[in-house]
Amino acid sequence: MTTLVLSCLLVAIGLYGVLTRRDLVAILASVEVMLGGSSLLLVAYAAAGHAAPAGQGYALIVLAVGAAEAAIGIALLVALVRRGRTKIDEITEVRG
Amino acid sequence: MTTTIVWWLLAALTLAGAVAVITVREMTRLILALGVFLLGIAGLYAYFGFGLLAVAEIFVYVGGVLVLFLLAITVMGRDAEGRAIARRFDPAAATVSAGLAFVLVMALRPSPPASLPVSGVSVERTAAALLGPWLPHFEIVGVLLLVALAAALAIVGGGEDR
Repeated sequence: MTTLVLSCLLVAIGLYGVLTRRDLVAILASVEVMLGGSSLLLVAYAAAGHAAPAGQGYALIVLAVGAAEAAIGIALLVALVRRGRTKIDEITEVRG
Repeated sequence: MTTTIVWWLLAALTLAGAVAVITVREMTRLILALGVFLLGIAGLYAYFGFGLLAVAEIFVYVGGVLVLFLLAITVMGRDAEGRAIARRFDPAAATVSAGLAFVLVMALRPSPPASLPVSGVSVERTAAALLGPWLPHFEIVGVLLLVALAAALAIVGGGEDR
């Protein structure tokens, strides 16, 4: 139960960061916090005996997807920095 | 008793890192806070007996993703050094986040995970799973990473603005 509460708290903290931060790096970091919380819950369920190899497999997949998402996010950030935009409010167009 | 203390220490470290990520004012300290959070998560993975996952978390996230973030603030240049990040308390966002946490706890409460380690999974069993019934998922993730790498290069390597 305590691990469940911890995981849900981490997801909520990450969500608060995504909603309130204006800087792109801070938003990406908050998304990583959410991912960490959710994968911790998967691992905790696996440790409790609920299909342990599958739980670890899910967590590994979440880890890989999170790394890919961070790479794409950082690439977008670098592209936006070249255009002089680093704040989420300044990104108003979806165009190359 | 000892395992409970260890769990609480790791949980406190993880929570402290997560709170620091959303509250610190400077970019470099935000990255350090994220590193603390990720180390706490890796510690919790090891606590539950998943050593391979803990090491993979440290290699991939702390060693890779964190360095990517540092690269990002380096690319930003002088603007990122010691740059203050606007910080203001948003009651609406706090309400949404607290509501999400409450809904998740209530929805998952009937089958709570144990807070004490029951059993870990050996590396052999993990390898057998990843290269057995989980092979399609493993391969798809590999393709996803390759696509992400190519996409990142395509996004950053655009020559129009050079």
